[in-house]
Amino acid sequence: MKAMGIVFSNIYDSSLGELTNERTVASLPFGGRYRQIDFVLSNMSNSGIYNIGIITKYNYRSLMDHLGSCADWDLSRKNEGVVILPPFAQGNTGIYKGKLEALYSAVHFIDHPDYDYVVISDSTVLCNMDYRLAIRKHISSGADVTVVVNRETEKNKKKHPLIVKCNRNDTVTEMMIDSFVRPGTLVGMGMFIISRKLLVNAIREAYSKGMVHFERDYLQKQFNENKLKLSVFRFDGVVLRNEDIRSYFANNMALLDEKVRNGLFRKDTPIYTKVRDEAPTYYGEGSVVKSCIMADGCSVYGNIEESVLFRGVRVEKGAHVSSCVVMQGSKIGENANLKCVILDKNVTVSEGAVLVGTPQHPVIIRKGETV
Amino acid sequence: MSFRKKECIAMILAGGQGSRLKVLTENTAKPAVPFGGKYRLIDFPLSNCVNSGIDTVGILTQYQPLQLNEYIGNGLPWGLNSANGGIHVLSPYSKSANSEWYKGTANAIFQNLSFIDRYRPEHVLILSGDHIYKMNYAEMISAHVKNRADCTIAVLDVPLEEASRFGIMNADDQGRIFEFQEKPKEPKSTKASMGVYVFRWEILRKYLIMDNEDPTSSNDFGKNIIPKLLNDGHRLFTYEFSGYWKDVGTIFSLWQSNMDILGEEPLLDMKDKNNRIYARNYANPSSFIADSSQIVDSYVAEGSQVYGKVYHSIISTGCVIEPGAEIYNSFVMPNAVIEKSSVIRYAIIGEDSVVHANARIGDSPEFYDKHKWDIAVVGKDKVVEQNMILLPKEVY
Repeated sequence: MKAMGIVFSNIYDSSLGELTNERTVASLPFGGRYRQIDFVLSNMSNSGIYNIGIITKYNYRSLMDHLGSCADWDLSRKNEGVVILPPFAQGNTGIYKGKLEALYSAVHFIDHPDYDYVVISDSTVLCNMDYRLAIRKHISSGADVTVVVNRETEKNKKKHPLIVKCNRNDTVTEMMIDSFVRPGTLVGMGMFIISRKLLVNAIREAYSKGMVHFERDYLQKQFNENKLKLSVFRFDGVVLRNEDIRSYFANNMALLDEKVRNGLFRKDTPIYTKVRDEAPTYYGEGSVVKSCIMADGCSVYGNIEESVLFRGVRVEKGAHVSSCVVMQGSKIGENANLKCVILDKNVTVSEGAVLVGTPQHPVIIRKGETV
Repeated sequence: MSFRKKECIAMILAGGQGSRLKVLTENTAKPAVPFGGKYRLIDFPLSNCVNSGIDTVGILTQYQPLQLNEYIGNGLPWGLNSANGGIHVLSPYSKSANSEWYKGTANAIFQNLSFIDRYRPEHVLILSGDHIYKMNYAEMISAHVKNRADCTIAVLDVPLEEASRFGIMNADDQGRIFEFQEKPKEPKSTKASMGVYVFRWEILRKYLIMDNEDPTSSNDFGKNIIPKLLNDGHRLFTYEFSGYWKDVGTIFSLWQSNMDILGEEPLLDMKDKNNRIYARNYANPSSFIADSSQIVDSYVAEGSQVYGKVYHSIISTGCVIEPGAEIYNSFVMPNAVIEKSSVIRYAIIGEDSVVHANARIGDSPEFYDKHKWDIAVVGKDKVVEQNMILLPKEVY
């Protein structure tokens, strides 16, 4: 029994607006030192899945720059490792409409006799998970496809791409796509386990019939025709879904909660990322830092509260930063005042500048800009 | 297998026990001792090599090498995982005729003649694994070549009153050395050797063989090789270095050099991007700085959680400083836990140690006689019991 991984890097690009203008959602910075894809890659690496294809279409320069040889994830290997799968040049060049369509170009990579199972995953759902448990469950259940789910706890009614209901044996009895859910419903985490042969057949069939969506055109259709047995693997750890700018902002802030941090970052299964060799962070005279996530390489002389600072950020004297996400290399000038702001990489905030957003609508300053 | 010829390769002497660092080197080699929040001493010569374009490095180890070997691994963190050159850990090994430990610094290199010969280098750079400094060896090597020197020794201007602790080089206006005094009572100059040498390999090779055949020799660069080269009229030159340099031979100097990276304009700037120091990374998450914390003039590394107060100190990767704990003028090594209401002053807290609640460790020098005060030290993997008091100069 051996599994390989398939990771989608672009599928939800449009939902994150300006933050993904020049990058894939997979390479969107998160939590002070990570990119979103670090979570799924680390989970796979920690679960013994070393042969991984990353499906991408455009804007993937930042992703390739981040991954390098993948040695930082312990995925630079002799016979396995990470393969980036851009589209074939002669195919249509629009964005992928769905995962199934995106898989067309990966079929040769997937159809490898050494691997019995394929773990398919998005890069926008962040968790710390042992895929070995899910694969074991998949095998013992005898299902054709296992859907990784967690129980939705948020009180607000929210639209989700995939919702399932199941019986006591965890066999799926009903599945809904893009519907609103009540708290307590089982929600798909964008991760599936499927046998290699079944997946390859599905891709080949989908290609000939022009199907595009994995969940709608394949899973739901086949399930409704009683051709597929679906089962669930319930994950009960911390799950952060970065579906849009509001949830991205809220999930960064969620890291200030110790329970979330301890659930996501575990000593025995670390989340790896690109090593950048920054010095530790320096807190100068007069700095006041309260409830913050701080990456290495920052220099702090001002006041920061309830914020997430990425690597190499500089906050000058008298600056006030509260409820902000400040990405790598940004500089916040003296006496600037920022509240509910997302600063993309290498932004310069001038002396005395004032920027105020709200948690629902944080102000976003684009990469490299000066305000 | 044939090896590509190298202009210069580096050999790092990392075999020392560092017994003056006491509990900190009980179970580990001195070059593996932590520094500055996320580094180890060996990171300095290794990063200097890489930043100077040297891609072949031999590390000579013999004392407690496990942690050091593990740390160095395949050299990837320093970019030294190269197929052509790269990093090599060289431990003493048994030979067909005889087997022996490294007897002295020169003997350690002698026992690895064949390693160096493989690369047919023009020059060999000899470094020490326990000095803190940022230096571009490429400039030193080009001065060495320009002087047509057989040996070039990096020197540092030290205060006259400290000169008797060092090997002092007396040189003419051109920098050519005419006299060498090892730890002189009456130093004639203030040019102290930093323990950084460039040798023409052809010459060094000859002298290492001669030195090995001399039963009276203590097989040391400073005591034997350099004086002999000088006596025989070879061309020895100084290379003047003016940056920060520290031999962290004692607990106090280790503490002091850590304090030297603090401040707005530190003596040793760890943030300087031109001379970056690389280190192995352990995938720690970002640090968490709590509401109850207060941090002034300090470095805090990734993976730490700070709930207490930290003044003029260094908190290394993976540490936990609980609420009410106070840390002043101290160096806390990786993964240490300081429990609530403990107060730490002028101390070094070892790796993976736990200081239970309400302990008092170290104190400020102002309340003590000079000879009774020193840095308080908690060793690696130690557990300090609740309410325990550790006085200055005490080692636990």
